[in-house]
Amino acid sequence: MILNYIKIAFRTLLKNKGYSFLNIFGLAIGITCASLIFLWVEDELNFNEDFARQDEIYIVPTNQNYEGEWRTFYSSPGPLAQDMKNDIPGVLKATRSSQETRLFAVGDNSINRTGRYADADFLDIFSLKFIEGRRKNAFTNPEAIVLTQETAEQLFGIGEKALGKVVRVSNRDNYLVTGVVENLPKNVSFPFDWVAPFERYRDGAEWMTQYGNNFSDTFVELTPEADFETVDKQLRGLIKTKEERTDDYAFLHTIKDWHLRSKFENGKKVGGRITYVRLFTVIAFIILLIACINFMNLSTARSEKRANEVGVRKAMGSGRGRLITQFISEALILSFIATILSVILLAVLLPQFNLIIDKSLELGLSNPMHVFGLFGIALACGLLAGLYPAFYLSSFKPVEVLKGLKVTEGSATLIRKGLVVGQFTISIVFIIVTILVYQQIQHVKNRELGYDKDQLLSMRVNRDIIDKFDVIQQDLISSGSVYNIALCNSQLLSGGNNGSGFQWKGGTDTEDVLISFRNISEGFFDTTGMEIIEGRGFSRNIDADSTYTLVSESLAKMMSNENESAIGKTISRDEDVLEVIGVVKDYLYGDMFGSSDPVLFFNYHNYARYMYIKTKDGVPIAEALSTIETVLKKHNPAYPFEYTFVDESFDAKFKNEQLVGELSQIFAILAILISCLGLFGLAAYTAEQRRKEIGVRKVLGASVSGIVKLLSKDFLKLVVISIVIAIPIAWYFMRDWLQDYAYRIEINWKVFAAAGIIAVLIAMLTVSFQAIKAAIANPADSLKTE
Amino acid sequence: MTNTLLKLSRATREVNSGSKAVKLLEHIDLTVTEGEFISLMGPSGSGKSTLLNCIGMLDSFTGGGYTFLGEPVHRMKEKNRSKLYKEYIGFVFQAYHLIDELTVFENIETPLLYKNVKSSERKALVADMLDRFNIVGKKDLFPIQLSGGQQQLVGIARALISKPKLILADEPTGNLNSKQSEEIMELFSQLNKEGVTIIQATHSENNASYGSRIVNLLDGKIVTE
Repeated sequence: MILNYIKIAFRTLLKNKGYSFLNIFGLAIGITCASLIFLWVEDELNFNEDFARQDEIYIVPTNQNYEGEWRTFYSSPGPLAQDMKNDIPGVLKATRSSQETRLFAVGDNSINRTGRYADADFLDIFSLKFIEGRRKNAFTNPEAIVLTQETAEQLFGIGEKALGKVVRVSNRDNYLVTGVVENLPKNVSFPFDWVAPFERYRDGAEWMTQYGNNFSDTFVELTPEADFETVDKQLRGLIKTKEERTDDYAFLHTIKDWHLRSKFENGKKVGGRITYVRLFTVIAFIILLIACINFMNLSTARSEKRANEVGVRKAMGSGRGRLITQFISEALILSFIATILSVILLAVLLPQFNLIIDKSLELGLSNPMHVFGLFGIALACGLLAGLYPAFYLSSFKPVEVLKGLKVTEGSATLIRKGLVVGQFTISIVFIIVTILVYQQIQHVKNRELGYDKDQLLSMRVNRDIIDKFDVIQQDLISSGSVYNIALCNSQLLSGGNNGSGFQWKGGTDTEDVLISFRNISEGFFDTTGMEIIEGRGFSRNIDADSTYTLVSESLAKMMSNENESAIGKTISRDEDVLEVIGVVKDYLYGDMFGSSDPVLFFNYHNYARYMYIKTKDGVPIAEALSTIETVLKKHNPAYPFEYTFVDESFDAKFKNEQLVGELSQIFAILAILISCLGLFGLAAYTAEQRRKEIGVRKVLGASVSGIVKLLSKDFLKLVVISIVIAIPIAWYFMRDWLQDYAYRIEINWKVFAAAGIIAVLIAMLTVSFQAIKAAIANPADSLKTE
Repeated sequence: MTNTLLKLSRATREVNSGSKAVKLLEHIDLTVTEGEFISLMGPSGSGKSTLLNCIGMLDSFTGGGYTFLGEPVHRMKEKNRSKLYKEYIGFVFQAYHLIDELTVFENIETPLLYKNVKSSERKALVADMLDRFNIVGKKDLFPIQLSGGQQQLVGIARALISKPKLILADEPTGNLNSKQSEEIMELFSQLNKEGVTIIQATHSENNASYGSRIVNLLDGKIVTE
């Protein structure tokens, strides 16, 4: 019996090639798209999953109060880890840590690698798997360093032992390799290439052992018996018992939430990336649904062709159940063919998709979960798409269909129209979302930044470069390729160091303003294109400027009353008193969609970590780069020439939004493509059904354009209804999405109009092909058949 | 020795057309004994096809009694009724109604599938039938590759494959030329001689003459017998 079903299914498929193509192709696109999303979702959900003891590992963020608002930071005081271990029962292990990028050199081979300084507990908490050396005594030597396999191979060569060998770090210190660990999986929240003892980082600094400075990423592991609530409650009170003067408090944030639920608002967890994971999962199902709808519509639309077969089979003794089984089997066969096709499509598209989402997803057909998943999708699609047509087709009465009576369509027509409206509503929502996300990104990108990001290079620096900064600057400028260079302790675009507790006289007297610090060299404003709107910049004499500061415009406003200049005023914290000598126009850093905190600038570049280089206008960038490399190599041969362009880093800040934008664009195109495949098929069948009517009308003198209009009108109506439904839905979602951004666009009605016009045009293009074909057919052919 | 195959007593078929009830068949009394060859005659719309469909249980009477082999069909559940006609009744249609996607062999085989006959047995039965009708060479062709007469031959073979007691034929030669018609009617009378009861609806006096009895219908009633 089953064999018979399969045989018939294939013959039916082959006999109606166009119909089969529309169905299989549409479904395959849907399955491909959904599978891509599911792969992405799987990757997101599996973040940090490879670490053992998911229920016991936590990071310890702190909530800090500024201007009446709680803000959450991963940084916490240095002594917190040890005190948690001492004071809170249930805390098994705890480590301080700080992420740093260091220059590693072995012989002539040098590379920059990012890793962590941490306590020995770090190795246990994350269960690092040692390939060389042993975890237990990896950190007994204060000069120890543990490398990942990849880093070890890059430094010492593949297959070479690294244990016991020495690495030169930052051209200054020697580290002894005491262990090599397996590479971390790609999807971890805090990746690192190496781990070294924290004390070496502290290097005797007193402030790192005191409360009041938040700088450390503290990770803890609880005992399996420990109760989260109890430990968390005690932790929230801990900082207060150590440091009377602060309201900061720390709390536990489970490893399971690091990746997907790390957004905090006013000190409380409010979700995070999980929103996108959920959203995309829903979208995957919606796309599958659209594809299944196609199948349903095309199946019921061509029911007249199948009706006769149903009648004959019933007359031959088939019960309804057998017919339902037969039609569902056909749907299943179709959806399995579509699934196989989509596996091919996936293999082709996955690399491209990985580029867009910046991941390295794999089809992983050796993973039983994936095979099972695909099988499940095929099964679900087959059933979903097949059920309704199966019940509908099998309900035909043999007496009626065999007599050649017209099948009374009634409910099927209505349902079909409803489904088409559903498809187009979804497509139009996607179009609107795509446009609005694009507008929002452009809106923020075109924001006044307060600096000029073009032709600006950023590179990490080491001691030698800072020491020789003046010569390097001279050489670069005199080379003719470089306009100016400057040093800074933090990246231009990121948050960097900050603190509070500053006081000043006049303006709004407040202590709890969070202010960012920038330790810069004299040419910083000139290099980055920032504008000093009042007063003067720094001089080359660092010592002479040691009590001077420049402030950002927003800070200047807070410090002074209306129409009063901030120049000459003083700002102080504890015993430090600084005089304002200049005001810098506000510039955008940190959250590109929000507003940036006020900034204090100091003329001090001894601990600079970044160098900014502005190339000269008109000099080809390749030429400038080679000049810069030559100069830097001359002064510091061991240092690798690694740089980033600030405008590229700027673009990277929009990764999330860009992702949403690009994905919704893909979804929009696919949703429309699938919907149009369906519409194309429907139009074909409608035209076929109305062949006789069209023939009669033509004989009676109807024009081609009149008939095209007649046939297109019904579909146009459906699209218009879809537009009406889609607009409020899209508006509601996008308003909600935009709420997350302080700096955002207003939703303009023109977007809706544009989306509507696009939908109508595409639908008309699809339908009119069939309509014209039907309209220009010779009426004699259609009338003689009956 | 003749047994009663089926018996209709005051059988009626009503449909609602708008608010009015229309009687398609009214108070039909008919007894068919095994081995008869009955021709239903009458103008278009007189109720021939409806009567055939009701007897064949594709449709049902709305009033009166219908006994088939002593069992009261009018009081039966759908399931039992379907069992009954799968077992004893075969259909032949004017428009052949072969399934386009199936070969000749598979078309003839279909009723056996629905009777859950084993594969080997099916093959044997179909092979016999092909042999008997001299269409072995055509078994792998699709209906579209056959002439009308050949298609109807397949249709009859399909109706016979489940060894029915009764064959219902609705204008079996309506789409055929006179030579083909003659062949089909010859086949019917041959089958009848072998013991199959046949009821055919027809317009043609000539076809009716092959039968053992003629029933004339007009406006849903039997006028003469």
